[in-house]
Amino acid sequence: MTILDLSWWQLALALLLVVVVAVISLRQRLGLERDLVVGTVRTIVQLYLVGLILAAVFNAARWYWVLLILVVMAAVATHAAVARLAKPIPGVYWIAAAALTISTAATLAYVIGVVVRPAPWWEPQYVIPIAGMILGNSMTSAALAGDRLQADLFTRRDEIEARLALGFSGREAVQPLVRAALRAAMIPTVNGMMTVGVVQLPGMMTGQILAGASPLTAIRYQIVVVFMLAVATALGSLLFVRLAVGRYLTPAHQLRRYLL
Amino acid sequence: MPKSSEPIFQVEHLSLAYPGRRGQPPAQILSDISVTVARGAALILVGPSGSGKSSLLRCLNRLEEPTAGGVRFDGRPITELDPRELRRRAALVLQTPVLFEGTVRENLMVHAPGVTLDASEARLCEMLGEVGLEPTLLDRDSTMLSGGEKQRVTIARALLRDPQALLLDEPTSALDPPNATLVVETICRLRDRRGLSIVAVTHAPELVRRLGGALLYLVKGHVQTYERLQAGSVMNERLQAFLAGTHP
Repeated sequence: MTILDLSWWQLALALLLVVVVAVISLRQRLGLERDLVVGTVRTIVQLYLVGLILAAVFNAARWYWVLLILVVMAAVATHAAVARLAKPIPGVYWIAAAALTISTAATLAYVIGVVVRPAPWWEPQYVIPIAGMILGNSMTSAALAGDRLQADLFTRRDEIEARLALGFSGREAVQPLVRAALRAAMIPTVNGMMTVGVVQLPGMMTGQILAGASPLTAIRYQIVVVFMLAVATALGSLLFVRLAVGRYLTPAHQLRRYLL
Repeated sequence: MPKSSEPIFQVEHLSLAYPGRRGQPPAQILSDISVTVARGAALILVGPSGSGKSSLLRCLNRLEEPTAGGVRFDGRPITELDPRELRRRAALVLQTPVLFEGTVRENLMVHAPGVTLDASEARLCEMLGEVGLEPTLLDRDSTMLSGGEKQRVTIARALLRDPQALLLDEPTSALDPPNATLVVETICRLRDRRGLSIVAVTHAPELVRRLGGALLYLVKGHVQTYERLQAGSVMNERLQAFLAGTHP
């Protein structure tokens, strides 16, 4: 099979699709034209920069360049995971960084070291996209879990203090909220496993097929990816929620109400 | 060993402040409060909203940590006690009763993992009886109860832990008058029968009158008035006006 390389004028033709969106926005007075222009420019610039950097790292073929890319990706993911929290949690950057780094490192180590086993182990063609997918899912699940936890701590604060007043420890008193936050973070992933490949073809698998891989090779990778993302979701949200909920409790089993 | 003549609560120069957000100064909630509650006696906390009365109540079972000063329970600084043990001995009843999913029985028996609780059928019925509820309520879904029943179930749940003191945070303010009266009667009966010490935040004149004891009037975290209420004694005019709701 051959890979069709897209030329500049082919990309320009694709840009016409965005023009359709712009026309819809103008006709329906959606007021999205400005954001659409910015989004289009950013899509082109960001992806080109990433492409140039990845090409350079692939060519250089050094493990430390791969590691540097992973660190930058983790930093951006950390920022994105905490950026949408409704209220600040003290030390949340470190909590998110720890949760994402540990969950990604553990998942990546297993997938690369035990399942896929590229040679050398840091082969950027495998490590970077796989790490990117893991980080992306950990990030989303940590953000979902954090959002739910924060909302529940506020609305269910009387229930927490009722448990504390009955002699529960701080951890015991917030346990139902931790459970609810973890479920909220994991349900989309588990539901996704039910319909994967039926409702839509996963992006990675689509990409591999477009790039010339046989669908049978592509689905094997996709199966690994689905399982890998499930564990990344679980680990990322579990670590984040466990660490974050601790910020709301004191050693004397008190709820820090002023943080809510 | 603490002597039995020891007051149940001694609040000593207690102050409470919340840390300020992002460079703002800390919010002072309570300033230099000192008060004692004798064993089996009652203390009523009154004051406008935001005066810190609930916060003071919550300092007594250490749901809040004072920034200065402290509290002694049964002669010992509460910081030397396990907070979980303290909270079983000084039970808190909240304004809006918190019942968990499940039946009344399940709610009465709620306890921390690893803690043993004597919850025999006979004892559960006895506790319900003490708060004036029928044993038939045990298997009722807790969401089906009226407000007054819910509040009395939370009191029964506290009693099951054999507390020495009850901390009540506006226990009747979310109830309609007939239910409020039932809860007031329950509280007063318990106090007489069990010799419980009671600290109550309340604006219900009926509860204030029947509990008697001492009355602490807080304004903006400071003690405005502290006086002993005696049977038939005339409360100071400002307090009377306050309880009657005519205070500015």
